[in-house]
Amino acid sequence: MKRILLSVLGILALAVATLTPAFAQSKGTVYYMVPTLLDEFQTGSVSALELFLKQVGYEMKTLNADNKTDAQQSQMNDVIALKPKAIILAAVDFNALKPSIEAARAAGIPVVEFDRQITSTPSDFTSVAGTVEIGHVAAEQAEALLKAKNGAVKGKILQVLGDPGDPYTLDIQKGFEEKMKAFPDVKIISLPAMQWEASNAGTIVADQMLANPDIDLIFSHAAHLSVAAVASLEAAGKKPGDVMLMSSNGAPVGLDLIRKGWLNVEVEQPLYAQAAAVAMFMDKVVNKQEIKPGDYDVLGLKSVVTKEAWGPNIKIPGAAITKENVDNPAFWGNQKPPTDTVKPVE
Amino acid sequence: MSPRTRQILEFVLDNLVWFMLVFVLVVFSLFIPNYFQLGIFANIIEASSVLGVMSIGLALVIIAGHMDLSVESVAALSAMAVGILFCSSGIGIGVQLHPDWLMVPVSLLLALAVGGVIGAFNGFLVVKVKMSAFIITLASYIWVRGLVLVISGGRSAQDLAPAIRWFGIQRLIGLPLTAWIAIACFVVFSLIMAKTPFGRHLVMIGGNETATFRAGIRVNRNLIIAFVLAGAIAGLAGWLLAIRTSGATANLGVGLLFNAFAAVVIGGVSLKGGVGTLPGVYAGVLLLSAINTAINLMGLPANFTQVIHGLLVLAAVLLDAFKQTIRQRLA
Repeated sequence: MKRILLSVLGILALAVATLTPAFAQSKGTVYYMVPTLLDEFQTGSVSALELFLKQVGYEMKTLNADNKTDAQQSQMNDVIALKPKAIILAAVDFNALKPSIEAARAAGIPVVEFDRQITSTPSDFTSVAGTVEIGHVAAEQAEALLKAKNGAVKGKILQVLGDPGDPYTLDIQKGFEEKMKAFPDVKIISLPAMQWEASNAGTIVADQMLANPDIDLIFSHAAHLSVAAVASLEAAGKKPGDVMLMSSNGAPVGLDLIRKGWLNVEVEQPLYAQAAAVAMFMDKVVNKQEIKPGDYDVLGLKSVVTKEAWGPNIKIPGAAITKENVDNPAFWGNQKPPTDTVKPVE
Repeated sequence: MSPRTRQILEFVLDNLVWFMLVFVLVVFSLFIPNYFQLGIFANIIEASSVLGVMSIGLALVIIAGHMDLSVESVAALSAMAVGILFCSSGIGIGVQLHPDWLMVPVSLLLALAVGGVIGAFNGFLVVKVKMSAFIITLASYIWVRGLVLVISGGRSAQDLAPAIRWFGIQRLIGLPLTAWIAIACFVVFSLIMAKTPFGRHLVMIGGNETATFRAGIRVNRNLIIAFVLAGAIAGLAGWLLAIRTSGATANLGVGLLFNAFAAVVIGGVSLKGGVGTLPGVYAGVLLLSAINTAINLMGLPANFTQVIHGLLVLAAVLLDAFKQTIRQRLA
């Protein structure tokens, strides 16, 4: 019996010894402050950041603010007390989190802003998709779709926004309408789906298809809103292709709608690349080294680091997904994380 | 005031919410382009189906003198349970039953059971353990939404089985079957409230629980049934929500609770309990839906819509308060 016990203890000791180097390699813990876990992009961002940060040697812990600014402020205060290597912040509210960012940096903890850019105070690194640019890409796609359908860039677009309190959707709207101004024969009707709730989008589409039956294109600011839009179109007796559809964020459900022929274009928010960029620059952020401006390759996407008033900022372009390229595993909506390992920037 | 004038005035006051609805529909039809058409009126009825069903359960508990804040999250959990089992995309596992129509009763029973169990849990704690309904159902509102997140992992289930989705597509006299389900629920529960001892007892309990108990009525049993019904009806609302959106997302139904409360209050149900009818609640639901549709058609700047929505709801509630003042003067 004693011998068996000793053998078990020996095996355990060996296992611990084998595992120890893995822990020893860890460069420390990074906290990710996720604004909500009620949408697929945010859920995906947790697993992507975790994966890439692990590849460059960091452990990641996540705190969910449930879309509540005060909860995120409290979480920031708690995390500052824990003295992590860095904080990755996707802010619920840009302005309200400014003092928390300043407090963290004053305590010597670098702050990386993810997905939601805060320009009112300096931070150590920012990785964003460029929401205004997503709007630009969407406008280019709308231009092509309308031209193909009507022979010229003219017609009616129903733009289903997300919650009007969310800068993500407002920026996309800004970029989209900015570019579409060049086409005065295009009428854009913009309505918000309050709280990004799908059935609200479904109601908007059902009402508008009656009030404006000549709508050529529906542009929803998230794929899950397009799902509800499709349900309303289906209930109105429409078939795939009767009304052109477009959405932005590249969620898996959007890609499914492309495969089924309902959705023409999905403008991707490059989740994997955004997360990979954070991991690529994490060593420099943690060690407070200079991040040089210039072009970088992030998972095959040409991205630009600029030196802004609020610190180094990487902007990664969103790509248009159509029937032709929908199965490309690089799109996060296909949920096949990149097999290539992310390497820290030297 | 002559008896006839008084009679007419009382009729108007009793049905004020219906008059408000007609007034609003006329005004919107006159001033909002494209509002006046049968399709839009059908949309108003259809869009109110989920909120309407949810409001029935909420109204039952409020009439009985309590509160159920969990209905929105219960609907979301039921929708997610149906979505995960019977959707074929996203996190849906695409369960197939043969014959196909079997998926309808099974998914419906699942949604009702999910809601009923949570309703029973709420009812037990409120009635048997004597805890505050506000606190217990608020806690359920939070943990049930959390459970939606846990079981979905924040992802969505899409592409509901065609046999179930059929209810959202097929129309009968211009209305989708989901709207007919909501109308049928209002008819059935209105009759239950008006014509059965259970309905009358709920109103009495809401009016004066102690007096009702002393009159020999089984207060606890009726209250628990009310909570179970509220949960099960919220489950039905979730089933309709899944049909309407062809699946379920983790944030499905967010904000419905406050609209349901607004509809119930506008519909003439007193938050103090003991007062209110379900036809009035349905009128309240239709009124809110008519306002939402008007906002959708007006094409106002996005940041103004919530303010306008809130102000219109406030106007409706103020009008209801005005009604109470007139009624007191008449008495």
